[in-house]
Amino acid sequence: MLLGIETAAECAGVALADDEGVRAVVWVRGERRHAETLAPAIGHVLEQGQASLADVDTVALDVGPGLFTGLRVGVATAQGLAQGLGIGVLGVTSVAVLAREVFDAGWRGQVAAVVDARRKEVFAARYAAPTEEIEPPARRTPAELAASLVAAGEDDLVVVGTGAQRYPELFAPLHVAAISAPSPAALVALAAGRLRGGEKPIPPGLLRPMYLREADARINWAQR
Amino acid sequence: MNVLGIETSCDETAAAVVSDGRLVRSSVVSSQIDLHARYGGVVPEIAGRAHVELLVPVVGEALAAAGTDRPDAVAATYGPGLIGSLLVGMSAAKALAMSWDVPFVGVNHLEGHLFAPVIEEPSLLWPLVVLLVSGGHTLLVLAKAPGRYRLLGQTLDDAAGEAFDKVARYLGLGYPGGPAIDRTAREGDPRAFSFPRALNDGSYDFSFSGLKTAVVRTAQRHPRAATCDLAASFQDAVVDVLVTKAARAVTDLGAKGLCLGGGVAANSLLRRRAPAAVDVPTYLPSMAMCTDNAAMIAAAGAWRLAHEGPSPLSLAADPNLFLTFDT
Ligand SMILES: [Zn+2]
Repeated sequence: MLLGIETAAECAGVALADDEGVRAVVWVRGERRHAETLAPAIGHVLEQGQASLADVDTVALDVGPGLFTGLRVGVATAQGLAQGLGIGVLGVTSVAVLAREVFDAGWRGQVAAVVDARRKEVFAARYAAPTEEIEPPARRTPAELAASLVAAGEDDLVVVGTGAQRYPELFAPLHVAAISAPSPAALVALAAGRLRGGEKPIPPGLLRPMYLREADARINWAQR
Repeated sequence: MNVLGIETSCDETAAAVVSDGRLVRSSVVSSQIDLHARYGGVVPEIAGRAHVELLVPVVGEALAAAGTDRPDAVAATYGPGLIGSLLVGMSAAKALAMSWDVPFVGVNHLEGHLFAPVIEEPSLLWPLVVLLVSGGHTLLVLAKAPGRYRLLGQTLDDAAGEAFDKVARYLGLGYPGGPAIDRTAREGDPRAFSFPRALNDGSYDFSFSGLKTAVVRTAQRHPRAATCDLAASFQDAVVDVLVTKAARAVTDLGAKGLCLGGGVAANSLLRRRAPAAVDVPTYLPSMAMCTDNAAMIAAAGAWRLAHEGPSPLSLAADPNLFLTFDT
């Protein structure tokens, strides 16, 4: 069984999938309190799916890009579960999960997934199909990204994610999907597909968040 | 009963297995000092990132060295400390506990330090006065028994170790400041300069920011002053304040022992002066037990688990956690 963990955005979630598809999904609304809500949510999703951790053979995780603190809570949790259970982990990106959801809704064109990165920047990637990445995840300025997408003149392009919603005036000339958070169900669907395609899970010690931004090297003495 | 302890509150990634609350089966500490040295202090975002990379191998090594692959409980620091660092250890600890189907227990980092002597001193006498001094904390605590504490005093501004770091940085001695000042002071004259000692208020509270400012001002006024003399005079003032207040507390409260803890307890002058200032036994933990480690967290966790039971998996990290004191 596959356990998926989503902590890259404000809303955390977990999903459980077996060979027949998604078995249970739990969303957590407690914004940005992932460290408090995630472990109990994993308990709930197992209960809903009538399974136990012993049934889980891979942990899938959204490694970002996204909120750094959320990413670390997710990675540490996935690592702990996998290390304790002696199983592997599979990381997928937040932008691939967002795109997957648009494709799952029946869209057959291109998808640009755009996540708000704060400080007037976005993390973005472009897909032609769920597993066909045209542009890998990168940090961009919203104006430059929107201009390049508009200039490309693709009329079969859909934009998805908090980055597009944060800057509606910039992305107005494009089709923007009404999906903002990467969903745990799309996450496990994407991960299951990659495992079926022959990808191998990695040891938990090798799992890393995708930050796409250098560490802010400020010392806050008061925080110590 | 084996407890896996996990400590990630600041810049050490640590895991340990402790049996029966005090027998250290393994204790692994991966220090990030090199990552932070060029900034002259701990950078929170860099610390958070490093914990994520180091924790799995550190936990793996602690389990392997202890010869267990399924401890009976998992304890982790939930505060005080850097929030982004605490969350890594806590999240991993909760997940490990779930994966093994064993209890999780959150530990107050400060209480962890108070368990260092419990691990190392079989003949400990209570009540104890504990002077806990590091880059993050400066506390004077009366420990009546394990789990029963009274806060006597704390710093009103900088932590003692922070004063060492800031002065060392100003004097160009590098980071971390404690060992650098300790080393440099050996060549210097502690009476070369008379720095202020914030002792006169009769309380057990500490204040180091005035001292730090005095060192800077003196260095500016005497540009040719020897760095080793400034370092020695500064160290003498800090140790003087720490030892005087701790010794007064021992006398006032009739404590049966004095215990040092925290990174600053590795300071050679403090380790020499403290035993001479009191007529009760002084417990000087080993260097490894003074600085942040997970064995003390596992020991405190075992005690909490036995006396108060496990923590909920919804336990939140608290960067400003205090010790719970009874009066
Ligand atoms: Zn400490």
